[in-house]
Formats: sequence, C-alpha cells, structure tokens
Amino acid sequence: MAITLEVMPTELSTPDASNTGALVRVDREKESAAERTKRFERDALQYMNQLYAAALRYTRNPDDAQDLVQDTYAKAYTSFHQFEPGTNLKAWLYRVLTTTFINTYRKDQRRPQSADGEIEDWQLADAANHTSDQGKSTEDVVLENLPDSDIKRALAEIPEEFRMAVYLADVEGFSYKEIADIVGVPTGTVMSRLHRGRKQLREKLTEYAKELGYVKGGAKS
Amino acid sequence: MSTMNCQNCQDSLILFIDNEIDDSAQFNEIAFHLQGCGLCRERMELERRTISIIRALLTRSCCETAPETLQERIAHQIHELESAQIAGFTQTEIITQYRRTEITIDGETQIEIETSREIRRDFPF
Repeated sequence: MAITLEVMPTELSTPDASNTGALVRVDREKESAAERTKRFERDALQYMNQLYAAALRYTRNPDDAQDLVQDTYAKAYTSFHQFEPGTNLKAWLYRVLTTTFINTYRKDQRRPQSADGEIEDWQLADAANHTSDQGKSTEDVVLENLPDSDIKRALAEIPEEFRMAVYLADVEGFSYKEIADIVGVPTGTVMSRLHRGRKQLREKLTEYAKELGYVKGGAKS
Repeated sequence: MSTMNCQNCQDSLILFIDNEIDDSAQFNEIAFHLQGCGLCRERMELERRTISIIRALLTRSCCETAPETLQERIAHQIHELESAQIAGFTQTEIITQYRRTEITIDGETQIEIETSREIRRDFPF
C-alpha cells in the first residue's frame, strides 16, 4: 500500500527560539539512521503528552487518540529527514498529527457540518456586538469553578473545526499563521473558527453553570 | 493623521488581544485610541477577560499524560522502523498508466496501447 504524506516543512520553517536543539548543527546528508533515531527521540518524543492531549480533543476517544499519536510518530519518524532542524518542530508535529487525523481518522466519518456554516469574510465587529452582556466577574468566578469534566465536555461538543482552532490557539499558543499551516486553511478562516469556537465554548460553559445552579437564571431554586 | 475610530478599533480588538497585529503603526493607533476611549477600553478588557478565562480553563483541564502503554508502543515502533531503514527494506509501489487510443476508419478499428507514465512510491518515504 502506498502512503502519501504532505508534511513538507514550508511555512512552518520559521526559527523556533524555544528549540534549543536549533543551536546544534545537523548534517542530514551524513547522518546515519541510528543518529537520526537518536535525534528524533531526543527532540520529538518530548511532545508526546501534548500530542496525546490534542489527539483526545480531535478524536474524543482514548483508543483512537492513542492510535492517532502512534501513527503520527510513525509518519514523523519516516519523514524526519524532511524536517529542517532549528525550525519549529512542535508545529511540524502538530501538522503531522492534524494531517493524519484529517486523512485517516476522519475519512470514513460523515463530517458534522458546522452548525451555521462558516464565514470567510469574517467581521471582527461581531465579537464586540455579541458579548457586551457577558464577562461579568461573578460569572467568571462561577466558570472557573466548573469541574474539568465539564470543560472537556463543552469543548467536545463544539464543531470539530472550531474545536481544533480553539485548542491550537488557546492551549498550545500557536499563532493564527501557524494554525493556518497546521490545519491547511487560510488565516482568515482560522480567525473565524477561533472566534466562533470561543463564543460557542463560552456559551456552553455558561449553560452548564446554569444547569448546576451556579448562575442566576438556572433551573435550581 | 490617524483614521482610528471606535468602529475600526472594535473591528481589530480580537486581533489586538491575540497579538496578531504585525503592523506597528496600526498597533500603536489602536493602543492610542484605547488610552483615550473608555468605551473601547471597557470592551477590550471584557474580551480579554473572556479569552483569558477560556485559556485558563482549557489549559487546566486538557493536560492528560500519554499512557505508558502508548509510550512503549511508540518506542517499539521507532526501533522497528529504524531496523527496516537500516536493512534497506522499502516497500515500493509502481503505478503504471496506459493510454489507449481507438481509431475507427471505414468500419476498421485500430487500437493502440502505450505506456504513458510510471509512478514510483516508496515507503518509508
């Protein structure tokens, strides 16, 4: 069986200040398989927990998440000669993870469409107009008291594209440009997904808080 | 002359909070507007708080550790892939494309088949 993988470092080839390995000059032409393995184990395996947590968000299932991370490392290892040392390895691995997920794990599923489509020509004004009644500090405190299981559930319930954007931006701290390269969509789409994902997440969390009777207007008396 | 008004400022608020404004002139204009406009500043603080709560909640909850079995599976797999590379085992798939030309003149048909392209795919890559 032939496997094609599109993980060539292109836009992700920006210097990564956090990668101290960048200071080590690697001659990939002369590197032996054993040396490459050692470099891979040293540099790439440290992201396993993070990739696993991300895979759990993508697949929403621990078994699939484990398989996805394993496949990601297999593909990353066999493509490692294409990775340019000193550039952003974490972003590169996330790109392999995301590409693998999209190509393999999602292929046979019927993709749930975003509930209300996607706005490419996104207007940021929308953000300000719809949130003016939110963000009261008492509500913030209530949200902070929600259990972890509710936070994960809320994230799992928002559409996949939004979930990925929010996770990559707000947990992993990737820039819009990096997310665009990881997911393979234009930056404008990332902005739209991130904005709408945050909004939906916030709404869900507020809903849960109401169900628990933490917030005024909830069912509990 | 600055063209920054409340509408322009609010249009860019999320980008400003996410530190996604590369144009330093635009960044400064927004910052300057925020200094002088209480309404926009209030809105900015509200958005910033919302985003920072989401970040804090997600970071707190989504921090699972990879199970040991997964770590073992990956370590084992890397060694298998390395051994395969050292031994030079590659799996190659060759895809051949043919061109078939059928010409019919006066009820007589001529069929011509030629190899047009051969694609090699190697795994590991």
